[in-house]
Amino acid sequence: MSDEEHHFESKADAGASKTYPQQAGTIRKNGYIVIKNRPCKVVEVSTSKTGKHGHAKCHFVGIDIFNGKKLEDIVPSSHNCDVPHVNRVDYQLIDISEDGFVSLLTENGNTKDDLRLPTDDNLLSQIKDGFAEGKDLVVSVMSAMGEEQINALKDIGPK
Amino acid sequence: MHQGYPPDLSQLQAVMNAIEIACSSIQIHVNPAAAEATILSLCQSPRPYQACQFILENSLVANARFQAAAAIRDAAIREWVFLTDDEKKSLISFCLCFVMQHANSPEGYVQVKVSSVAAQLIKRGWLDFSAVEKEGFLSQVKQAVIGSHGLDVQFRGINVLESLVSEFSPSTSSAMGLPREFHEQCRASLEKDYLKTFYCWAQDAALSVTNKIMESNSAVPEVNVCSAAMRLMLQILNWDFQHNKNAKGGKNGIDVYSAEVRYEGARRSDCVLVQPGPSWRDVLIISGHIGWLLSLYGALRKKFSCEGYWLDCPIAVSAQKLIVQFCSLTGTIFPSDNGQMQDQHLLQLLSGIIQWVSPPDAIAKAIECGKSESEMLDGCRALLAIATITTPLVFDRLLKSISPFGTLSLLSALTCEVVKVYMANFTEEETWSWVARDILLDTWTALLMQADNTGQNSHLPPEGVNAAANLFALIVESELKVASASAFTDESESEFLQASITGMDERLSSYGLIARAAIDVTIPLLTRLFSERFARLHEGRGTKDPTETLEELYSLLLLTGHILADEGEGEMPLVPNAIQTHFVDSMEIDKHPIIVLSSSIIRFAEQSLDPEMRASVFSPRLMEAVIWFIARWSCTYLMPPEETTSSSDHRPHLQPQYSRKAWLTFFGEDNQGKLVLDIIVRISKATLVSYPGEKDLQALTCYQLLHGLVRRKSICVHLVSLGSWHDLANAFANERTLFSLNAAHQRSVAQTLTLSASGMRNSEASNQYVRDLMGYMTAYLLEMSGKSDIKNVAQQPDVILSVSCLLERLRGAASASEPRTQKAIYEMGSSVMNPILILLEVYKHESAVVYLLLKFVVDWVDGQIIYLEAQETAVVVNFCMRLLQLYSSQNIGKISLSLSSSLLSEAETEKYKDLRALLQLLSNLCSKDLVDFSSDSSEAQGTNISQVVFLGLHIVTPLISLDLLKYPKLCHDYFSLLSHMLEVYPEMVAQLNAEAFGHVLGTLDFGLHNQDTEVVDMCLRALKALASYHYKETGAGKVGLGSQATIYTEPDGKLQDGILSRFLRLLLQLLLFEDVSTDLISASADALLPLILCEQGLYQSLGKELIERQANPTFRSSWCEFQGSKTHGKSENKVSNSTSGRHMKCNDGGGDV
Repeated sequence: MSDEEHHFESKADAGASKTYPQQAGTIRKNGYIVIKNRPCKVVEVSTSKTGKHGHAKCHFVGIDIFNGKKLEDIVPSSHNCDVPHVNRVDYQLIDISEDGFVSLLTENGNTKDDLRLPTDDNLLSQIKDGFAEGKDLVVSVMSAMGEEQINALKDIGPK
Repeated sequence: MHQGYPPDLSQLQAVMNAIEIACSSIQIHVNPAAAEATILSLCQSPRPYQACQFILENSLVANARFQAAAAIRDAAIREWVFLTDDEKKSLISFCLCFVMQHANSPEGYVQVKVSSVAAQLIKRGWLDFSAVEKEGFLSQVKQAVIGSHGLDVQFRGINVLESLVSEFSPSTSSAMGLPREFHEQCRASLEKDYLKTFYCWAQDAALSVTNKIMESNSAVPEVNVCSAAMRLMLQILNWDFQHNKNAKGGKNGIDVYSAEVRYEGARRSDCVLVQPGPSWRDVLIISGHIGWLLSLYGALRKKFSCEGYWLDCPIAVSAQKLIVQFCSLTGTIFPSDNGQMQDQHLLQLLSGIIQWVSPPDAIAKAIECGKSESEMLDGCRALLAIATITTPLVFDRLLKSISPFGTLSLLSALTCEVVKVYMANFTEEETWSWVARDILLDTWTALLMQADNTGQNSHLPPEGVNAAANLFALIVESELKVASASAFTDESESEFLQASITGMDERLSSYGLIARAAIDVTIPLLTRLFSERFARLHEGRGTKDPTETLEELYSLLLLTGHILADEGEGEMPLVPNAIQTHFVDSMEIDKHPIIVLSSSIIRFAEQSLDPEMRASVFSPRLMEAVIWFIARWSCTYLMPPEETTSSSDHRPHLQPQYSRKAWLTFFGEDNQGKLVLDIIVRISKATLVSYPGEKDLQALTCYQLLHGLVRRKSICVHLVSLGSWHDLANAFANERTLFSLNAAHQRSVAQTLTLSASGMRNSEASNQYVRDLMGYMTAYLLEMSGKSDIKNVAQQPDVILSVSCLLERLRGAASASEPRTQKAIYEMGSSVMNPILILLEVYKHESAVVYLLLKFVVDWVDGQIIYLEAQETAVVVNFCMRLLQLYSSQNIGKISLSLSSSLLSEAETEKYKDLRALLQLLSNLCSKDLVDFSSDSSEAQGTNISQVVFLGLHIVTPLISLDLLKYPKLCHDYFSLLSHMLEVYPEMVAQLNAEAFGHVLGTLDFGLHNQDTEVVDMCLRALKALASYHYKETGAGKVGLGSQATIYTEPDGKLQDGILSRFLRLLLQLLLFEDVSTDLISASADALLPLILCEQGLYQSLGKELIERQANPTFRSSWCEFQGSKTHGKSENKVSNSTSGRHMKCNDGGGDV
């Protein structure tokens, strides 16, 4: 990547872009990558060569961060890949509505009511059970490329 | 004596039927579990001997006889101490008689099994039997072996001896549940009194049938006896003779641990020296034994066309192997007569062996046409064996007395032939030429290694030098051919590649030795080959595909690197002796062959700086070879330290020193050294910047080349003054170009640049250098963390990339902590302490960044802690605690939700890695109490490290679930920290609150049941420390661990188990009823003693319970005795006296419940 494309000082235009280009060789395991237009977490990186005296290629195995599907890609290691902007925000869980939506308390005191509960029974019960027990729960909501989902749960209630 | 089991024929018959049915149902796979249980019950029943003997003698089912023999063995070994002397002897005689009586039985495996049972029983009683008793058994065997009872019995007799020798040799013996010492004593006794006798019997047996075999033209039954006898001889010659070793070392006792190290020194084609000592001289050398063996094999060779004989028939193979084994005969068996007798011996062998390998071309051709290669390979092995025990001169001279050429010429011709065959049908598979080449290369290595180490290779005879030169030329030709042929094949999986590189490395070292033996010829040859290829590349640029030439250069570079320089393995490798002592007459320095060759390669490498050349010629793979070569070469030749170049001054007899010294300094600091160093640095920067994504190449540059350079202070001094180095440092510190490097490589570059600061004039300048290098990065992190919108900005991928890169670099710099730059690195870390806490909060969901943050702190604390003054320590400790608390508050009670099981397990793995880092951090803090270089003692200023670490453990342990402890590394780290803390500061445990106390001990309980003996050992040590502390404290009238430690009565009168009593129960349970590794016995005993002392009442009641439950009266009484002695003995023991504890456990083990 050249200096024109990137500046050492990052501009504070958060949310402006959904993805950023990054050289394939610098993407490591546990980082993020876009494969087939889906945001993925990289779970495996290996390199190979095109012929003995050729150049290196990276082989990525990623898992879609929203639907958990496995995706793969091969990119020459000097080329750029898209890296998704994955954002995560914590909210306190206020309510779970009957129609499958949650009500969340934002940092500035407003509520966010447009997030659906997961459809998977197992995940659903993990959230519902905790809430039903009356625990104080904080959920962390992960968003990337226009999608969002609850990805973690934390009990902050008194012991 | 068989009181419980009167000889009742019908009962015996019933047992036999049951076993027979079980055996046949196993074979046809009908209900195998039940059948196995039936057979097992026979093995485990008390005194099954009569039934077994009955089965052996009467059953028609061979498998049933086999199982009966096995049952005798199992039962007798188990009940040995309870058998009377007569019973023992009668069992052994029964087995021996059985073998001999049924010598012609068609089911040989039963006979072999019974022989082996006899051998094991004889060994079990070996140290108790009197000489007369042993004679009794052995005379029976002797009669058989010398042939008094016919051929079949003779064969079986030899079998029995084979079993005996194999049982008495520690590496092949069967387990008997006895200490190692027992096996060693048996080994020593057999070697001293019987081994030679056995050999003579085998010799006699073989001799008795030799004539018959030689005279007949087809296979005769005698062949079996003869080949068995030779197998036995080979087995005996393979014996690990100890007697000289002990005599030499002047040791009287038996060194139990020295016995099995023998094979470790052996190389690829292992060649073991046979050193039986002077007492064997008459049997092996003087008796004409070798002559007999050679003439027997010679006669066999002529019979290969006859029916029943062929090159690979058992008797021929036994003879071949035995002949090869005799080539390794050495040591005091030969008198000190300047090696005359040994030379004679080897010459005799060689004159027999030469027909196997000479003339090489004819032999190779025959093998290619389908002849078996075994004889030829054995011939090569024999040469290897001879090369191992002789010097090059003696080796060469051997053959000269019987042929017009020397052995070296033969070896060279043979190797050339093999290489030619290999070249002709080059495939990936392991062909015979491949195997032969490896053996022969090992032979060269064995010969030349001695010369290379002593620098005496002028002692290689001139013909030998010529032979080496010819061979090397052929080798290079074949390597080049292989290279160009394989240039277009795709590289297969990386693992396979890695293995073949290791294999190649070994081969290349042999090539290197051969080349050094004829260095005058080989260096100019290489120079010519290089320049031809350089020219070819230039001519064909843009028009021809250079790939083949590139691959040839790749392999030439690897080869040349191995010839010119040795692997340093962390040390400074010297210029190889062969190179140092040669080329004395080339006076003009810049025409010195080594310098010409080196310079031409460096000039070639320099061309990679030109972007056009780089694009057209310097492929990543070629560049890897270039970097590898420069790294290896520069360790030896670039700016050599003064001592290596001037050392020859102390040895005036090695003439003429001036020219030698002069050329060695050609690349020194006052000559071309700086120039070359500058080129190297510029090439390194180019590989880091201009080969984006080529991780392997960059890894070589970072780890091999740059690390090698900054390791030497003399080079650092010049590095920091070079403009090119400043460019690199500047690019690193202020530009973004190096951000494209892989994370680990960024770390490595940071480390390298920081280490180079040691080249500055003084500590002041060094610190300033590090500040300048890292200043911009710490400033960036400070600014980042101070931004108001950091929460939004931080999650952008490009910001994450920058932050990760900078953290990796800080980590690299932190791991380069040296006393000289400690100050600057401390400042670097302390200036980012706040940003780190802010980033930890901001990135709490970004596990990759969290891990980097933690690892930086771990490495920084590790490098700094021992130097810190009291106040700095307080600051760092305070910071670490805040870090731990913050991490804990973010993660405790957190649950990841994901549809993907692999993402969930990733999350688990990340958690494990974080926790491991935190434990490392605590361990690093611990080390402050052990090593402290600060000027004031830490006790003066109140940071109590142990308190801090316990607090840290208190924060971290709730995060460590038992599930996470299943990660072996985390488990290991956790328990080593825990046991360290409990051992060193047991008093702190008493101050823990009930919850923390419970958690710590809960994990101890978990650890005791762990699979890993090391973990169990650590838990036992912790337990010992706790119990000892409690015992001592209560003895002094204090509370110790308090009421929760021991049995206490609850308000309702119920007796409640305390911690120590719980562990006493647990430990006894573990020791008595579960399978405890013998490695843990001493640690268990150490822990058991203080526990017993703390809990005497409980111990006694447990013991009583155990005795009452024991059904067998013999065991019960011995238990009572044991229990008594144990409790009686304890009062005299001090808690700290761990040897007494060990003794107790030894008794314990003997109890065999």
